[in-house]
Amino acid sequence: MADTVETGMIGVDARPARRQQWEKWLIRGIVAAVLLRLAMLMGLSAFFEDLGSVGDWLVEGLPWLCLAVGAAALLPNLSSGIRLQGNRLANHVVGWGIGTALLLIMYFFGPQIQPALSFMGRSARVLVEFTGNQGLFLAAMTALVALSLAVIGSEGQLLHRPGLFERVWAKNLTAKIAAVPMMLVALGVFTGGTIWTVVYSFTDSRLLPREKWVGLAQYERLWGEDRWLISIENLLIYGVCSLVFSIVIGFMLAAMLDQKVRFENTFRTIFLYPFALSFIVTGLVWQWVLNPDFGIQGVIRSLGWESFTFDPLYNQDIVIYGILIAGLWQGTGLIMCLMLAGLRGIDEEIWKAARIDGIPMWKTYLFIVIPMMRPVFITTLVLIASGIVRVYDLVVAQTSGGPGIASEVPAKYVYDKMFLGQNLAQGFSASTMMLLSVLIVLIPWAYLEFGGKERTRRASDV
Amino acid sequence: MASVVVRDVSLNFGVVEVLKSLNIEVNQGEFLVLLGPSGCGKSTLLNCIAGLLEVTDGQIFINGKNVTWEQPKDRGIGMVFQSYALYPQMSVEGNLSFGLKNQRLPADEIASRVKRASEILQIEPLLKRKPMALSGGQRQRVAIGRALVRDVDVFLFDEPLSNLDAKLRNELRIEIKRLHQKLENTMIYVTHDQIEAMTLADRIAVMRDGIIQQLDEPQAIYSRPVNRFVAGFIGSPGMNFMEGTLEVSGSPKVKVGDATIDAKGYDFDKKPEAGQKVVFGIRPEHVMIGEMAKSMPYTSEVEIEIVEPMGSDTLSWTKLGGQNFTFRIDSEYAPKEGEKVKIGFDPARASIFDANTDIRL
Ligand SMILES: Nc1ncnc2c1ncn2[C@@H]1O[C@H](COP(=O)(O)OP(=O)(O)O)[C@@H](O)[C@H]1O
Ligand SMILES: [Mg+2]
Repeated sequence: MADTVETGMIGVDARPARRQQWEKWLIRGIVAAVLLRLAMLMGLSAFFEDLGSVGDWLVEGLPWLCLAVGAAALLPNLSSGIRLQGNRLANHVVGWGIGTALLLIMYFFGPQIQPALSFMGRSARVLVEFTGNQGLFLAAMTALVALSLAVIGSEGQLLHRPGLFERVWAKNLTAKIAAVPMMLVALGVFTGGTIWTVVYSFTDSRLLPREKWVGLAQYERLWGEDRWLISIENLLIYGVCSLVFSIVIGFMLAAMLDQKVRFENTFRTIFLYPFALSFIVTGLVWQWVLNPDFGIQGVIRSLGWESFTFDPLYNQDIVIYGILIAGLWQGTGLIMCLMLAGLRGIDEEIWKAARIDGIPMWKTYLFIVIPMMRPVFITTLVLIASGIVRVYDLVVAQTSGGPGIASEVPAKYVYDKMFLGQNLAQGFSASTMMLLSVLIVLIPWAYLEFGGKERTRRASDV
Repeated sequence: MASVVVRDVSLNFGVVEVLKSLNIEVNQGEFLVLLGPSGCGKSTLLNCIAGLLEVTDGQIFINGKNVTWEQPKDRGIGMVFQSYALYPQMSVEGNLSFGLKNQRLPADEIASRVKRASEILQIEPLLKRKPMALSGGQRQRVAIGRALVRDVDVFLFDEPLSNLDAKLRNELRIEIKRLHQKLENTMIYVTHDQIEAMTLADRIAVMRDGIIQQLDEPQAIYSRPVNRFVAGFIGSPGMNFMEGTLEVSGSPKVKVGDATIDAKGYDFDKKPEAGQKVVFGIRPEHVMIGEMAKSMPYTSEVEIEIVEPMGSDTLSWTKLGGQNFTFRIDSEYAPKEGEKVKIGFDPARASIFDANTDIRL
């Protein structure tokens, strides 16, 4: 208990002192963040630009790259004095915000500004690299980073403790050393593969990978293609809907089962059963169910309602919702089980106390129980989110992306480009885009889930 | 006037009978403690009174009103739980006021009630904190506060101190007693801790297997337990029980092995029968040694086997009539192991039970 109080005290007492130095840190942070971001952009684009000879490259690309590395090295020092950079999140929020603004400026005004910066040579071309959709995407991503840093900063008092990273590193050193071989393998496979993918997305590899650099050309093409844009749009619709509906439906089912209903096990099995089926089977099943001739529409028409129409899989405008239904049917059971486990973890006396206080059931759920189930919600969120990004087999089984390209999704785009279209680099660039989005969602989660472990533990020993 | 009346209440979980036709009357302003071992149905009874469990049979009246089928919130009760059951995501103030806001009380009324409760319980400096940032004792204070702001006549406590360490438990026990003196509410308090029961209660109801064994003032429960279970459950260290037979030639005597204890002055509830198998019970603290023993109606010489010093007192183990016997005396006069001492006690302070029915004679 004492230590809880103590951390609370740090949060309160350290504030005035921190505010005094705040301005200094803010300015340094902004400078560092802007410098870093600019240098990286310039350096990278110069690096992957088709500069011809190695000599040109050294002359124009390398200085920028060095600047970038230097800025990265300086950043911790600049932004937080002797403390580590992670402890000064507020500055980074501002930095990423400015990064967003810069990207937007380049997106809108890049070509106008370029002549003014002609002294920078070919590196100035970076200014027009971001006028396409990819510029907008990058801007959205940097904005997301800023947002998630802000969220982490406001949530995690822990990060503001000096020396956090050193302590984390020094604790259990032996165990960490023992884990090194495993980590190396993991790093080699995951990180190595990832980096390889990212690197080759800057080439013009087609059937086989080759090192002919084309800069951001693949990305430009990607963001100019209808099929990719439709994929992204579908992913957004599918993602938002399946996130909302599986959480809402899963929670409601769990809350219903939690009322100590009879045959709970039977219900649980029924709801969970679809999860045991693969996406392919699910897709095929729902392809039949939604088939106008044999499925729901056919049945209802045969009952005499001739004008009844329900054929989502054959209608370009709503085909993605047909896929959504199948996805929900398959995935909601698992969410329900997780939520049920979470509900069972709530102390029964909390419910009793709420009943004595006369708080209606729905309010108890909304204001007391759901906030207590935060860890469960975060876990389900990540499960659902990862399912969304991967959605592929369902589409293949149900519609093969049709009608036309109306139900394409990014994962399918990647697969098609890489293995059917013989355009490796294009597939790589698309998967890099997906990776980028996933990371930006995943990192804040990882922090809240693992960095916040201490808080969760304390909450549970209440 | 009776504040809470429990009439013939039974409760079954499926086929398990947890409460069996139970009757209690709690007077206005009384502090009643339900005492019994774990699993005897104390919490179940309390939950029935609170309306958190539906009784299988019987009726419950609070302040003269039949509330058997009322919702908990309409029964005019406040309740405090063992696990505190605070709403973890709300501040202390939120915990206190959430129920009131829900009743749509005016804001100034809520504020004044929260203020009063936090003054009484001295939790004003904690109002803005989350329960997570409180110590166990502070949390339980807040939980009591949540019952207090409801402005009700009857408080129900379900083992409120069981999660606290010994020192805090003593402190908070005194505070609950003060609170009762100050508010003069009816309080029903569940515990398995006899010290809490003895110190707090106006009356104690000793329960076992869903049946009330004895409902009486603490002193009566201590000195005149109605059966062997109550006698053994109350008092620490526990009462000495010695099996013997009754002789009624002249004044009644209890024959325990080779010792014969003259029960002159013992107030028999029932007429003793000759040859009846009985259990003779005497509390370790009612046994004297040495000079003091001489003035006692019954004396005997025993050899000390083991001594257990407990600070102020010392517990000594010996044999009387061939059966285990303990007594407790001031450490200053404590005997040594192996020493032969004279012990004595007054059989009028003992309890004699029928060996078959365990009921007091
Ligand atoms: N929901 C329940 N279902 C079945 N049996 C229960 C339930 N709650 C309590 N019991 C049983 O009722 C008995 C009394 O429980 P309880 O009132 O909690 O005891 P305690 O005196 O320790 O508070 C116990 O034997 C317990 O196993
Ligand atoms: Mg209990």
